[in-house]
Amino acid sequence: MIPKMALARDTDQLHVSWAPDRQASTGVAASVHGISKRFKKTPVLEDVSFDVAEGESLVLLGPSGSGKTTVLRIIAGLEQPYTGRVILHGKDVTDLPARERGVGVIFQSYALFPRMTVEKNIAFGLKIRRRPRKERSETVNRLIELVQLEAHRKKYPWQLSGGQQQRVAIARTLAYKPQVLLFDEPFGALDAQTRVKLRREIRALLRQVKVPAIFITHDQEEALELGDRIAVLNNGHLEQIGTPDEVYNHPSTEFVATFLGAANLLLGVVVPGAVQVGVARLPATEETKKFRAGQSVKLVFRPEDVCLSPDAKLPAGCRRLANGVIEEVNFVGAYERLNVRLDLTHRRQTESEAPLYDVTINTPEKMTGVPIMVTLPKPEATATRYKAGDRVAVGLTSFSVLPNYTLARQR
Amino acid sequence: MVKIPTLRHVRGFDVARPVSIGVMLAIMLPLVILPLLSIFLFGTSKGLGVFWSALIAPEAIFALKLSMVTSFWATVFNVIFGLFAAYVLSRYDFWGRNAVIVTISLPTAIPTAVAGFALLLLWGPNATLGRLLNAHGKHLMFTAYAIILANIFVTFPLAFGVIKPVFDTMSSSLEEAAATIGATRWQTFWHVTLPSLRGAIVGGALLTFARAIGEFGSTILVSGNLAGRTQTAPLYIFAKFNEGQIEAANAIAIVLALLSFIIFSVLFFARDWLEFEAQEK
Repeated sequence: MIPKMALARDTDQLHVSWAPDRQASTGVAASVHGISKRFKKTPVLEDVSFDVAEGESLVLLGPSGSGKTTVLRIIAGLEQPYTGRVILHGKDVTDLPARERGVGVIFQSYALFPRMTVEKNIAFGLKIRRRPRKERSETVNRLIELVQLEAHRKKYPWQLSGGQQQRVAIARTLAYKPQVLLFDEPFGALDAQTRVKLRREIRALLRQVKVPAIFITHDQEEALELGDRIAVLNNGHLEQIGTPDEVYNHPSTEFVATFLGAANLLLGVVVPGAVQVGVARLPATEETKKFRAGQSVKLVFRPEDVCLSPDAKLPAGCRRLANGVIEEVNFVGAYERLNVRLDLTHRRQTESEAPLYDVTINTPEKMTGVPIMVTLPKPEATATRYKAGDRVAVGLTSFSVLPNYTLARQR
Repeated sequence: MVKIPTLRHVRGFDVARPVSIGVMLAIMLPLVILPLLSIFLFGTSKGLGVFWSALIAPEAIFALKLSMVTSFWATVFNVIFGLFAAYVLSRYDFWGRNAVIVTISLPTAIPTAVAGFALLLLWGPNATLGRLLNAHGKHLMFTAYAIILANIFVTFPLAFGVIKPVFDTMSSSLEEAAATIGATRWQTFWHVTLPSLRGAIVGGALLTFARAIGEFGSTILVSGNLAGRTQTAPLYIFAKFNEGQIEAANAIAIVLALLSFIIFSVLFFARDWLEFEAQEK
């Protein structure tokens, strides 16, 4: 609901005021430098650094236990870092208690004050700052309008739906012009449909109020949709930070590739101008630049980056990888998912050679094919109608080449 | 009010229902219901006039007032202390914390006469602390203050016991939220924590008061049981009973029984309200 209304509204009046007043800023709203943290002796964060620009929304994405919540709590001042600094609008706040930092935290449970009405919850920040009554009620009125809770202003939190509670929680922090908004798993407690609706609303709201935001989530779809940039955390390490496009299409580690969407991984070796995977050779001048010949690598590609062809003719822009046989076809709604086994052990084919028929799924001794997952969009799936047992030529439209470390600590 | 679910898995006439209700009432009848009833029956058996004059006897009125006042102050102290102790014990971990929790609960299990005896040993005219007071020309035992002290000791764990679990289950994110919004500890406590404890505080207070007003064992030792000066309602009942004035004893007993009936009714019907607090995380 919010996006439509928000766009229709006279924006001048609402735009300005929710971001904190501050003098000429460098464009960086919040940053953490070399944050590490231990609980007892267990390290939970190691040397995490990133910046959030003015008005930007950054998503910290990672599985549970990756340390993302700890990062958020450290920024909020609810947790003390072991090393590192937290800077908010150029000011080092590492040693300041939570209440002096002026950050807005939207807790997963929303943490609305149960004994206060919507209005009183929103006014709380101003009340404890002893702002005049008139200013308080004006701010509350504008915020209630902004988050569209006019009809619910006298209600108590338990009388509101999850989405409404969340809007109260956001308005409650906007009231005191937070330096940065921190969302802790904001949609964790909601059902799938409400999630999608709410994250669009929040996105629109943030664009309107221009307050920088940091989201925490383990849901990759949510991350891609909410973030101007995504920071992927794993085991307390920052694996990669970049725009959704960068992180999704050019993952810099295996973890990022597999955590953010599905990915196929094949072991290979760099040869001049190409990646050799089994007997298959994939021309890759650009991607192999940073590797030396003979180096062991991993070829990473997404299921939707695979192109198939029943004969030797792969579409333009699709680099031929190998032959394969279709093992299984699943219709999963928006697209079709195929399990394909690649023939990587037989003689290497030339570019125009039709698929060979050596890989088979039927006899155990011949199950040498390497499985990959392929998704085909609906139009293509209906046009080709692949079925299990079909022989195909397999090519890739895009892929990444990552170093193949044998030990995690070599990273 | 808690809704009682229907037993949908039972078909036809459920014999267990009248039988089990009957058995329960049959057990309660001689143990609880009849004794309570007999107070009312005997108290009013010689007519309401006798009952009334027994009730408005100056000594009786005084005993009731004294009970109310001493119980009131004991309640005030124990609710405030219980709140404070619950806060400390649910927010801070320290060496010996569990020992303190167990110690706070002890007075429930100690015979109240022992409690009175213990207070005498400490504050009595010839005892350690009592001698200090005596040196200043003051004494504590055998005054109304001693009764308050005894009530405090005996009802010590009650308010704490009601408030502490609410503290424990209260989500820490509420206090964290208040802190990030900019509230000081005191503002957080006053505006956020305390309102959520309202039900527990009221419940704890009622329970403490109900228990204090009926206290006998410890008060009889520390008060001196001086009619019109340090005689509480339960002591008055006991004294009158010993003198053979059953009507006088009964009249006050009825008042006390009604009072606790009212208190526990309030507790029961306010349960919705009290539980509502507990649900909110």
